[in-house]
Amino acid sequence: MSSALCTHCALPLGRSRHDAQVAGAERGFCCYGCCLAFQVAHGESEEADAAWLLIRLGTGAFLSMNIMLFSLLLYSGGFDMAEGNPRPIVHAALFLLAAPTVLLLGWPFLREAWQDGARGRLGSAALIVLGVAAAFLASVLAMLTGGERVYFDTATMVLVLFTLGRYLEAAGRARAMRSIAPMLAPERERVTVLAADGGQTHRPVAEIRAGMRVLVRPGERIGVDGVVVEGTSHVGEAILTGESAPVPKHPGMSVLAGSLNHEGPLVIQTQGEGTASRWMSITAAVRDALGRRGHTQQLAERVAGAFVPAVLALAVATVVYWASRASPDEAMLHGLAVLVVACPCALGLAAPLATALGIGQLARRGILVRGGDVLENLGAVGAVAFDKTGTLTLGEPRIVGIACTAAMSSGGVQSPGLILALAAALEARSEHPLARGIVMEAERLGLPLFPALGLRVVPGHGVIGEVRGVPTAAGSAAWLVASGFAMPENVGMGMSRERVDDARTQPLDGSLAGNPPRPALTMSFAQLEAESGSLVYVGRGSRIVGVLALDDPLRPEAMAAVAGVRALGLEVLLLSGDRAVAAHRVAASVGIEWVESGMSPEAKQSLVAREGRRWAMVGDGLNDAPTLAAASVGIATLSATDLARESAALVLPDGGLALLPWTIQLARAVRRTMIGNLLWAFGYNAVALALAASGHLLPVFAAALMAGSSVVVVLNSLRLERDQEKWIPVFPQNRATNKESGAASELRCFDLR
Amino acid sequence: MSQYGLIFLAGLAASWHCVAMCGGFACALSGGRGGWHATRRQLLYNAGRVTTYCFLGALAGALTAGICTARPGAPPLESVQRVLAVASGLLILTIGAQFLGLLQGVRRAPMVGFGGEVLAGALRDLQRAPGLAAPLAFGVANGFLPCPLVYGMLAQAATSGDAVAGMATMAAFGAGTFPAMAVMGGFGGWLRIRLAQRPGWRRGAGVAAGVFFVALGLVTLARGLLSLPSHGHLT
Repeated sequence: MSSALCTHCALPLGRSRHDAQVAGAERGFCCYGCCLAFQVAHGESEEADAAWLLIRLGTGAFLSMNIMLFSLLLYSGGFDMAEGNPRPIVHAALFLLAAPTVLLLGWPFLREAWQDGARGRLGSAALIVLGVAAAFLASVLAMLTGGERVYFDTATMVLVLFTLGRYLEAAGRARAMRSIAPMLAPERERVTVLAADGGQTHRPVAEIRAGMRVLVRPGERIGVDGVVVEGTSHVGEAILTGESAPVPKHPGMSVLAGSLNHEGPLVIQTQGEGTASRWMSITAAVRDALGRRGHTQQLAERVAGAFVPAVLALAVATVVYWASRASPDEAMLHGLAVLVVACPCALGLAAPLATALGIGQLARRGILVRGGDVLENLGAVGAVAFDKTGTLTLGEPRIVGIACTAAMSSGGVQSPGLILALAAALEARSEHPLARGIVMEAERLGLPLFPALGLRVVPGHGVIGEVRGVPTAAGSAAWLVASGFAMPENVGMGMSRERVDDARTQPLDGSLAGNPPRPALTMSFAQLEAESGSLVYVGRGSRIVGVLALDDPLRPEAMAAVAGVRALGLEVLLLSGDRAVAAHRVAASVGIEWVESGMSPEAKQSLVAREGRRWAMVGDGLNDAPTLAAASVGIATLSATDLARESAALVLPDGGLALLPWTIQLARAVRRTMIGNLLWAFGYNAVALALAASGHLLPVFAAALMAGSSVVVVLNSLRLERDQEKWIPVFPQNRATNKESGAASELRCFDLR
Repeated sequence: MSQYGLIFLAGLAASWHCVAMCGGFACALSGGRGGWHATRRQLLYNAGRVTTYCFLGALAGALTAGICTARPGAPPLESVQRVLAVASGLLILTIGAQFLGLLQGVRRAPMVGFGGEVLAGALRDLQRAPGLAAPLAFGVANGFLPCPLVYGMLAQAATSGDAVAGMATMAAFGAGTFPAMAVMGGFGGWLRIRLAQRPGWRRGAGVAAGVFFVALGLVTLARGLLSLPSHGHLT
C-alpha cells in the first residue's frame, strides 16, 4: 500500500491528513503539528508564517497565563479587598482575555475537526474542540448568569498546551527526518552551472543536461553524475555505496550524484540528464518505502480510528456518572479531562516514526528497503540463508589452473596457453560468467584471439565450433564425450602431474623465454577438482586436450558478514546450486556449517517455504528471485537501480555485505522501538483515561500529560539515531583493491598426460 | 524589610546579569530604533517575560501545596517548606557566591538537547518578526530560558507553599529586573556596552548582586533552619 507523504516529516499522510495553504502553496501534512513546524521552518518568506505561528502561540500563552493568574487571585480571595463583589467584573475581564485566545489557538483545531468531519471521521481535533468548547461555553453561561465559577483558564491553557505539544512533536519528527531530508526532493535541489564566459547560474537538478559544467563547493552535495574536470577533493559516497570513508577525486575521475563533496571545490562535466542519475532512483525508492504502511502501522491506525469515538463515549459516561454524584461543574471538568488526556497521536506515531527513522538510517548507507514492514520482519528473523555465487563470492569466476594432455604439451608446439586461447575463441561472445572469466584471463595474458566459425551454444553444457579449421569445443566432460571427443584414459582417475608451468609466462610457441622452470608439483585430478569451483574441458579434433579450472573468489567482506550474523545469535546456512565440493569449500572458508548444495531454484524455494521459520534469504537477486520472494525477508546484494525490477525486500549496495549485521541490528532496534512506543501509547492512554474518568486528573494536567505523551514517543524514537552509531561495522578498506586481490591468485597449469 | 522587598532588590541588583544574558535579545527587539517604538516593544517584551516568571512562581508554589495536601498522610506543609528553604537558600547562596567570584567550578547546565534546540529556534524566529505581538511572544519564550537567577527564585517561590505567594515572589523578582531590561533600547544598551567595555563596572555590579543574593540566601537558609515566617516582615 502506498500513499502520499507529509510535506514536513515525510511520513504517510494517513487518516489524520491536514491540508493547508503554506508558503504560497496548498500542502498536505500528516497532522496539524507538522503543519505548524513546517510553517516555522519554511515561513521565511514575506508572509512570515513561521514567526506568525510562534507569535500566536506566545500571545496565546501570555493571555492564558494571565487568565490563570487572575483566576488564581480571584478564587484565593486576592480581590476581596475591593468594595462590593468584584467577581462579575473579573469574570468579564477573563472573558475578554479568553475570547481572543480561543480564537487564536482554537481556530486551527476547529478547521482540522471540520476537515475530518467532511471526510466522515472523528479525529483527535474533535476531542479538543469539544472539550474546549464545553469549558468555554459553560464559563460564558456562568458569567452571564452570575455563576460562581468560570473555566476560561482551563479552556485556554488546554489550547496552549495542545498547540505546544503538537509543535514539539512535529519539531521532533522533523529532527528525526533530518537524515532523510536530502532524499525527499532531490530534483528540486539547485546546482551551480558555469557558463562559457565564467558566469554562474543556480538551476534545479531537473534542468541539467549532459555536457554542462557544474561547480560543487565544499560541503555541497553533488547533484548530477559527471567527470571531474578541475579541482581535487574527497567525496563521501556512503549514500550510494555504503562506504563510509571519503574517496579521493582528481580530474578525470567519475563522481556520482548524491555524493557529498568534503574539501576542495570541484568542477564537473555532467554526463547525463540530472533526473537520470542513480541518486534519483534511490531517492524514488526511499520515498516509495516511506509511503508503505507496515502491518503494525495498519493495526495501530485501525485502533486509533476506533479510539476517538470510544473516548467520546467514555467522556459522556464520565459526565453522566459524576453529574449524579457531584456538582455539574465537577462533572464537566472530569469529562473535559477525559477528552483532553486521550492521545491517539501517540498511537498513530508509534510505528511510522520508528520505521521512517530506520529507513532513513539505512538509506544513508546506500541500503534500500521496500517499506517499514520489511524492517519489522527482519528484526524478527531467526535464520539467515546465503546464496553462494555472487553473494558470498564475487560471482566473477577466474582461471586458477590449466591442465593439458601430454599430446598438447609434449609436442613442443603449444601448451596451457593454447588451451586457454582455444577456449577464449569459443567463449568470446558468451555472457556466461565462466565464459567471461576465460576471455578476461586470455586478454590479460595477451593471448591472440583466434576467429571461431560455426559456433553453436548448447545451454547448460558448452559451446562447439571450428577454430583454425579444426572442430573445437569447450564445456562439461560428459557433454564433450557425448559430442564425440574422446577422454584420455587416465583422466579422472587421479593422475599425477609432472610439470607445472605458468601460462602467464609461457608463450604459445612453448619456449620458456628465459623463465626457469618451477619445481615439479604433483596434484591429482581430484585435488584439482576439489580446489576449484568449476572445470571447463576443452576438446580439439577428436579428443579432450585440456581442462581449465576456474574459481569464484570470496567477497572480502563475506567472512566478517557471516561472523557478524552468527554473533547476533542467528542460524546461518548456505544454499547453493553448485556441486557439494564447491559449496562446502566456500562454507568452510566463511564459517558456515549448515550447507545445502546442488539445489535448483525451485528446491531452494521449497526448502525456505518448508522450514516455515522466519528466514532472511541473501542472494544476488538475479537467479534466486523466487527464493528471495519466498523468504520472510529477501535481501539482495545488487545495484540499487534494479530494486524495482527484482523481488528483494531489501537491497544492500554492491559489495555492502559487511553492512548486513548492522542492518539486522538496526531492524531489531526499530522493532523494539516500535513495540516500546506502542506499549507506551496503549499503556499511557489506558492509565490516563482511567485516572481522568475517576476524577483524579485536572483538565490542565491532563492536557500537559497528553502533550508530553507524544513527545515521549518522539524522543524514544530519536534514540535510534544515536544507538545505531554503536553498531556501524568497520568497512573493508578500499573494496576495489580487495576485489583485485582475487584476480591475483596464483594461476597454475598442470600437464595432463 | 519584607522578604519581597529583598527579592525585589536582589532582582534589581542582579539585572546587570539579565542585561548581559538577555540584553542582546532586548536590544535587537528594538530593531535599531529608539523613541516610543522601542519603548513599546521593550515594555511588551518585559510584560511577557515577567508574566512567565509569575506563572512559573505560581506553579512552583502550587506544586509544594499540592505535595502537602494531596493525601491525608502527606508531610505537613511546614516541614516541606523548611526543607525547601534550606535547599533554596543553598542554591541562592551558590549563585551569590558566583557573582562574588567564588565557586566558579560549579557549572551551569548548558541549554542543549531537543528542548533547547526548539526554544532557541523559536526565539530566533520571533526576534526577527515585526509587529507588537512579536516582542510579547518573545518575552514569554524568553522567560522559559534556563537561568540561574530564575532557578534560585523559583526555589524561593516553592518554599512559600502557596500559589499566590509563589506568584508574588516571582513578580517581585521580575519587577526588580524590569527597569534595566525595559530601557534596553536606550540607557540599557548604553549600560550593556559599558559593562562589556569596563571590567571594573562589571565587577562592581557583580559584587552588588552577589551581596543581595548572599543576604537573600542567608535569610532563606535561616528560615529553613530556625523556622522563621515564610514571607512578610522578617523582623
